[in-house]
Amino acid sequence: MSTKKGFKKWISNNLGLVFILPWFIGFLIFKVYPFGSSLFYSFTDYHLFDGIKEYGLMNYEEIFTSTKIMRSFKVTFQYAFMTVPLKLVFALFIAYILNFKIKGVNFFRVAYYIPSILGGSVAIAVLWKAIFKGDGIVNMILGWFGIAGVDWLAEPKYALFIICLLRVWQFGSAMVIFLAALKGVSQDLYEAASIDGAGKWRQFFSITVPIITPVIFYNLVTQLCQAFQEFNGPYIITQGGPRNATTLISLLIYNNAFKSYEMGLASAQAWCLFIVVCVLTIIAFVSQKKWVYYSDEDGR
Amino acid sequence: MRKTMKQAVAVSLISAMALSLAACGGSSNSAETTAAEAAETTAEAAAASEEETTAGEPAAAEGLTVNTTDPITITMSWWGGDARHEATMAAVEAFMEKYPNITVEMQYAAWSGWEDKMSAAFATGTAPDVNQINWNWITSFSSDGSAFYDLNKVSDILDLTQFSESVLNDCTVANELQGVPISMTGRIFYWNKTTFDQAGLETPATLADLMAAGPVFQEKLGDDYYPLAMNELDRTIFMVFYLESKYGKPWVENNELQYTAEEIQDGLSFIKSLEDAHVIPTIRTLASDGADSLDKNPKWMEGKYAGIFEWDSSANKFHDALNEGQEFVVGEELPDMGDYQGGFSKVSMCFAISETTEHPAECAALINFLLNEEEGVKLMGSERGIPASAAALKICEDNNLLDPLVAEANAKVMDYVSFPLDPKFEAAALKNTDGVYYDVQAGLSYGDYDVETAADVLVEGIEDVLSK
Repeated sequence: MSTKKGFKKWISNNLGLVFILPWFIGFLIFKVYPFGSSLFYSFTDYHLFDGIKEYGLMNYEEIFTSTKIMRSFKVTFQYAFMTVPLKLVFALFIAYILNFKIKGVNFFRVAYYIPSILGGSVAIAVLWKAIFKGDGIVNMILGWFGIAGVDWLAEPKYALFIICLLRVWQFGSAMVIFLAALKGVSQDLYEAASIDGAGKWRQFFSITVPIITPVIFYNLVTQLCQAFQEFNGPYIITQGGPRNATTLISLLIYNNAFKSYEMGLASAQAWCLFIVVCVLTIIAFVSQKKWVYYSDEDGR
Repeated sequence: MRKTMKQAVAVSLISAMALSLAACGGSSNSAETTAAEAAETTAEAAAASEEETTAGEPAAAEGLTVNTTDPITITMSWWGGDARHEATMAAVEAFMEKYPNITVEMQYAAWSGWEDKMSAAFATGTAPDVNQINWNWITSFSSDGSAFYDLNKVSDILDLTQFSESVLNDCTVANELQGVPISMTGRIFYWNKTTFDQAGLETPATLADLMAAGPVFQEKLGDDYYPLAMNELDRTIFMVFYLESKYGKPWVENNELQYTAEEIQDGLSFIKSLEDAHVIPTIRTLASDGADSLDKNPKWMEGKYAGIFEWDSSANKFHDALNEGQEFVVGEELPDMGDYQGGFSKVSMCFAISETTEHPAECAALINFLLNEEEGVKLMGSERGIPASAAALKICEDNNLLDPLVAEANAKVMDYVSFPLDPKFEAAALKNTDGVYYDVQAGLSYGDYDVETAADVLVEGIEDVLSK
């Protein structure tokens, strides 16, 4: 009787834990277990059908000596460092404009947000392909102005740019976050600056940007993580080609795991990617002391 | 109190993670043991099968009987287009009418992504009971016979006498008949006769005709017209046809590549010469077209690419893709490539039973119904190529069920080609879009590799696959 009462009391005191239990079980099974097992497999030559025959650092050795894998990491860095700044600048710029009281602003906010919902879909990737193929819309428009078409999808130096563009086009979610941050900037500051004779650009760089740096930082970190994990664009549009110019590391991991069945190698690559993203995130966090302004901190 | 509770939760969280990781370790240990045992077993099986290939007898029928009373559910999977789906579903429905106690749950889709899905299913033992499989899946997924049921054990239900010994041997790995062949296939040329007429040419009957057509197409029809289009895999297969015709050796025999780097350089130079003579578009041009495959390429549909080198069973796919008013004809194997009849045929696809099935007899009955019995064969027709089963072929011929295009192409291929194909020719590391064939052919076409380097990369890639 008393045990039952005690259990009931424990439940009522820890109701939150009970509610979180289903998530926690899922977290253990679908996150912690794969996380741990992939680390283990990364030190084996695990083949999906042949099993494990050898243990050691051979996968990591291969990663650092294989031209194909290193090139894939290089392409992923290029992709991330091209995509993230472009996307942030673009999202902030559009959010800044949509923060003004202009006619039909709600329509524009929705219109600019829609690509974020559609952008990751297969249909949009197929559309992207149709736009940039040899006789696609872009080359057709260039032709109207007498400019020779470009092999956007077939030329290694352009193909990555096309994949980046697809990601940059999906700036809606970052834009919405920037928009919310811009709404939080006090109008008093702008009024005071106007009285002092500051123009719109001056207000933007001297008031808006410093105040929303925490949000810029947040978007930077999330976008960086997403960019390093990009898969859909290169998988559907270029299949990693031409000449591996768009073989981002996530695509290579997928190919190694599910096409070549080299699970050990794929696990090691995934861990290398994880470490890279961790290091970049740490760098971002360390650097925020120099450029992120938190209003609740003294002196800054 | 609250602090103590927090500590307790933290400890339990950490313990749970540790346990989870320990569990990984535990399972890994068992995986290790299993893998070691599997490796040992594989080595033993390989040694045994080497002996048994020549001397070993196939397993005897186990005397299983088809259950016709108790309710049984089996699953079946295949890939293909709508026509194949409809034909197969109709045949399976007829099977369920014949055996009212058996329910067949069907899983089917297009090819795209299918192999990735099925490889995971076979690796985890969750594949359906009956599966349409690619021939090379036997060696890729079941080199030790662990993924597919030995069909010799159900030979009293599945009539194997309808199949020639040689095609059954092609599906026998580790001394187990792991699949029953549905059809045989090989590569042949198909031409868009309408475009050739526009160029004032007959469709090519020889390599010389083909080489001569390139410049004529360019001059009379324009730079974007080509007599033939080939992706990286097509080029590799055509190169093998060329080399076998010229040197009279199979590409791979006894698990060894039979060609020297110099001979392969010759083959690659031949492929390059096709590009140089405007016979085939460059890989850059094909990539710029933005199409997933040639049958989906608008230039094929419009007739700008006037030829393909494809499996005989793919005839309809390419024929149906053409715009109206274009005449599609089956070509010939090119006899002037050398002194030998180069080229190979192979098992196109098989039906296989998963090793994990609980109902092997009922699965065998289903396969027999689809491949050998009149009712099933009539409904299946030649949706999977010209039947390898003698009974099915006769039924199809008697009832005029063979697709004329596929039948013509298949007859021409089978009459001509004379070399065997090693199943590892289609290994994932070679034929996938990030594999060696694509790297070599695209590298050569883009100018990243010269012929010597390309040959070295190809030899190294093939030897790496053969050594595994």
